[in-house]
Amino acid sequence: MSFTHLHVASGFSFKYGTTLPDALVAQARDFGMHSMALTDRDGLSGAIRFTQSCLENQISPIIGIDISYENQTRITLLATPGKGWSSLVRVVTQLKNYGAPCDLNFLKQNSNYTKNLLALHGPDSEISRALTSRRYDKALLIFNSTRDLFLDQSIECVSHLIYGDGPKSTTHAARMLNFARDHDLPAVLTNAVRMKSREDAPIADVLDATRHLLPLHKKVVERKNAEAFLKNSDEMVFLAEKIAAAAGERNAKQLLKTTKDWAERAVLSPQSDIGLGSIHLPEPHVVGAKSQLELTAQLRSRAYAGVNWRYGDLSSEVEERLNKELSIIASLGYESYFLTVADITDRARNSGIRVAARGSGAGSLVCHLLGISGVEPLSLGLLMERFCSPLRKALPDIDIDVESARRLEIYDQVFESYQQRCATVAMFDKYRARHAIRDVGAALSLPPMEIDLVAKSLPYIRARNISQALENLPELKNLNLTSGNWKMAIGLAERLDGLPRNLAMHPCAVVISDIGLYDRAPIETNASNYPMVQWDKDDVEAIGLLKLDILGVRMQSALAYSVSEIKRTSNLSLDLDGIPLDDEKTFELIQSTKTLGLFQIESPGQRELVGKFAPQSFTDLIIDISLFRPGPVKSDMITPFLNARQGWKAREIFHPDLLEILDDTEGVVVFHEQVIEIIAKLGGVSLAEADEKRRALGDKEGQQEVCDWFFPAATARGYSLEIVTKMWEVLRAFASFGFCKAHAAAFALPTYQSAWLKAHYPAAFLAGVLTHDPGMYPKRLILDEARRFGVKIEKLDINKSDRSYRVENDSSIRLALADVSGISDGEIDAILSNRPFVDLADFVHRSGVSRPTCEALLMVGAFDALYPDTLNHRDLLLHLNDLYKWSRTSSKALLNLSGSQLTFGFTPELSKTGLPDLRAYEQVRNEIEFLGMDVSHHMMEFYAEFLNQIGAVKSSDLIKQRSNSSVLVAGVKVILQTPPIRSGKRVIFVTLDDGNGCSDATFFEDAQRSYAETLYNSKLLLVRGNLRRTGARGVSIRATGAWDLSAAYEKWRNLALCE
Amino acid sequence: MFEKSEIYLAGGEPIEFVHNGQRFRIHTVLSSWRESGGWWNRASDGLFRPDDGSRILWRVEAAPIGAMKTFEIEREEGVGLWRIRPTSRPA
Repeated sequence: MSFTHLHVASGFSFKYGTTLPDALVAQARDFGMHSMALTDRDGLSGAIRFTQSCLENQISPIIGIDISYENQTRITLLATPGKGWSSLVRVVTQLKNYGAPCDLNFLKQNSNYTKNLLALHGPDSEISRALTSRRYDKALLIFNSTRDLFLDQSIECVSHLIYGDGPKSTTHAARMLNFARDHDLPAVLTNAVRMKSREDAPIADVLDATRHLLPLHKKVVERKNAEAFLKNSDEMVFLAEKIAAAAGERNAKQLLKTTKDWAERAVLSPQSDIGLGSIHLPEPHVVGAKSQLELTAQLRSRAYAGVNWRYGDLSSEVEERLNKELSIIASLGYESYFLTVADITDRARNSGIRVAARGSGAGSLVCHLLGISGVEPLSLGLLMERFCSPLRKALPDIDIDVESARRLEIYDQVFESYQQRCATVAMFDKYRARHAIRDVGAALSLPPMEIDLVAKSLPYIRARNISQALENLPELKNLNLTSGNWKMAIGLAERLDGLPRNLAMHPCAVVISDIGLYDRAPIETNASNYPMVQWDKDDVEAIGLLKLDILGVRMQSALAYSVSEIKRTSNLSLDLDGIPLDDEKTFELIQSTKTLGLFQIESPGQRELVGKFAPQSFTDLIIDISLFRPGPVKSDMITPFLNARQGWKAREIFHPDLLEILDDTEGVVVFHEQVIEIIAKLGGVSLAEADEKRRALGDKEGQQEVCDWFFPAATARGYSLEIVTKMWEVLRAFASFGFCKAHAAAFALPTYQSAWLKAHYPAAFLAGVLTHDPGMYPKRLILDEARRFGVKIEKLDINKSDRSYRVENDSSIRLALADVSGISDGEIDAILSNRPFVDLADFVHRSGVSRPTCEALLMVGAFDALYPDTLNHRDLLLHLNDLYKWSRTSSKALLNLSGSQLTFGFTPELSKTGLPDLRAYEQVRNEIEFLGMDVSHHMMEFYAEFLNQIGAVKSSDLIKQRSNSSVLVAGVKVILQTPPIRSGKRVIFVTLDDGNGCSDATFFEDAQRSYAETLYNSKLLLVRGNLRRTGARGVSIRATGAWDLSAAYEKWRNLALCE
Repeated sequence: MFEKSEIYLAGGEPIEFVHNGQRFRIHTVLSSWRESGGWWNRASDGLFRPDDGSRILWRVEAAPIGAMKTFEIEREEGVGLWRIRPTSRPA
């Protein structure tokens, strides 16, 4: 006989269950079971992946929930087919809002839903409690009190074979069974499962300890033995017989029969009940149409209106493409999807928020015409089929980038207009190396300092790879990680791998559906006060909810800020989305590699690539962005492309038919779109079919299938076997590395826009970058960049500085108050509303700014403009001190001696003390302390003489050096990176800033051994290396040594003193 | 502690055992249960024994073999007289 488990907690019972649903389902299948329940604690987060896994393993899913009930008891509810699933979902949603454990009152309020559910009163239930204290009458009363609230309820017998006669002992299970028999109530058998096998018991213990935030102890650990695992049918029959015997029954047949009947009553259909594979878009009336037919017409007319806006007049090419796209959308019934997304982008734009599409959606002309995407797809060869195809019945994915600073405004708009139809999406915060070590270490009471050290040293890796990672961490040598306790901790931590810890809000995803959303998805209110589906993005996709990623992109905020600064200072309204994409000055800037602050192309690696590549067109930018990714780097697609582009080697295009497809990329296959077109051309199929083939190339099996089709298909069309073979090799190799051109194009647009702004309005652009900090570089470097672009940096001024960086006189940038260390928003508000200030005393008196902030302002020179040059910072500081002393005593005097003879009109006098002003380096030190950057002087200036003497090369002069010469460079360490690299070996890239620009050096493995520590630990560096010219503007330095600059300087100075 | 060889099983359940050189027969299993846990106190060698300490326990009434005797107890109703005699007859 095959048993069905009706009470099973998976890892989605956070910090309780030890095993993920798919592993439990696989185990049930191996046991030959036909159905199985998932009843996680207080949530349904595991339900969708459980159902999917059931479908794969031919197990019939039963879904329920094990909820906490008042007085620390629990009750298990199971959905029944028909209305059961939506009722269960509603109950979970309601319960999350209830704010207290479930109770009779809640059940009565929600009896509309609970009457479609089955209830199990198990060993943790109120009934079990009553029976434990032999209150048989009370037990019956409880049972009867909920009798009409559920479809049916039963007594749940559980024996974990524990000692004594309490809950989960055989004796207690028998008592429960007797109670059921005495009153003619149904009784079922479960094992109240929380793990897959006995071996998982220590994990359960660690989770118990973690849940209670206590070290492991008998009192903390819930289990008395390791029996709460997914037992096989024979083991369950054995238990049934034990319980039946203890209850005085002749055999266990009735108990097992009832269990089987109940399982059959609760089996759900993955499709019709849970909704796998369905699609639920907003109803037509939500986007203003009365019917599906009207919806189609509305999309068409909006698209045609867009033609006017984007193109002016309708060319046959545009018309043909548009009609094709519209008919694909109509055949899929996705009109409301497009109109909904368009509605959201429209709303954003109407509130003046910048939006841009990312992802394959940029390949669709309809997206372009509806204003979702700014990229013109036809001229760039972007394909609709990569995004949305009649052959794929899955919702296409549109992601939109918005200004990071205003992202939540868009959220609010979406929730306001779609209300019950939308929610944010969850993500599962899973155990990774660091958390696992921390939780296990705490459970095992390892020394907190050691736990902290190990956790901090671990990279962001999966928990299962901890021991492997620890081998490569020299800083942990002093810890005895081979001691018994540590070995055990590491072993346990690895086994926590992938278990979800809790629900978090996905940073950017929202789902938008029809009015049935709350019937299909359990929704709770998250910490940010947004409704949130308890599922992650894969889950919501599986049940066909439209998911929209609304990503906050700081660069979009920086761009918006720049445009508003241009408008403010020169009264020029700039349409950044309408600038021509072939601006010469913009490409000159990009080619010069002065790309600091630009979107996507400012990293050292990108600057090197841009230097070699010298992009000349928007398409080149798209190629550049596509090439600079781990895949192409690893497979070395860059070299053949650059060789052909520079004319060093002839490009390889195997057949004239491919010329048009591969022309832009010099014969190298870079884009998904190219793969699709090659397959379509050689194989003679439609683009949609070709995209299906391309997707199949992703795995081995699919590759073979495509291969078996491709050869006969292409040779039949007259291509020689040689060409077909060559092209097949290319497709096979590059299919997995290719990049979606539409996505790259969507990214290239803000890249180009940022470059355009930097080329034409450097002050406004860099003010935007400084204010919104979109990139990877510290602000001090952006200040240097500004100076190199002829932008003057004005220091803080208490009467002139604004909250953010402001452009002054078109060509200078005034530092922002927000960057003063410790300053609060309220203080900034007070300063802005109370100025102008005439002097320090006035400021102290009226601004209400705290003394530390006032001192910080003074130290960075915010009051300098109020005083003549003869007074220096030391004088002002003393004066400030007096002012505060005076304000303290005078306010005290006011309180205590009102009406006395004190002269309130007296203010401390500011006088010149004769003390010398701060030295330049002290000034810089203050700036770094209170502003986080050096403003008045570059840190490196103090080393100029030294660097001159030892012959260090300025970063701006590197280009003048001979190739293969040995050079010394110095600077402030700006970036240290270990990016993915073709060979898989670790390579360290370091970027130094010396005030003249940046120099980039590469440390390969041989050079790392002796110098890695210096690289990681020193802020100012001196690097020796071999310089190589790599292109028109490109240089690279292969480093051979690195030293701490200040240490080297000290040595040199001491030497000089001795001489 | 028992050695396994000194326990006699039937269907996985103990029925007889040797204790202090004397062989006992189990007459009644009062209760049987399983225990495990407490591994975190014992694993100082760092060996990760997932289920160490897992034990099955039986609480039984047992008597040395032969110590168990059968008696017949008789009461004569009219006079209220009691008689006891050992017997080997089946019940």
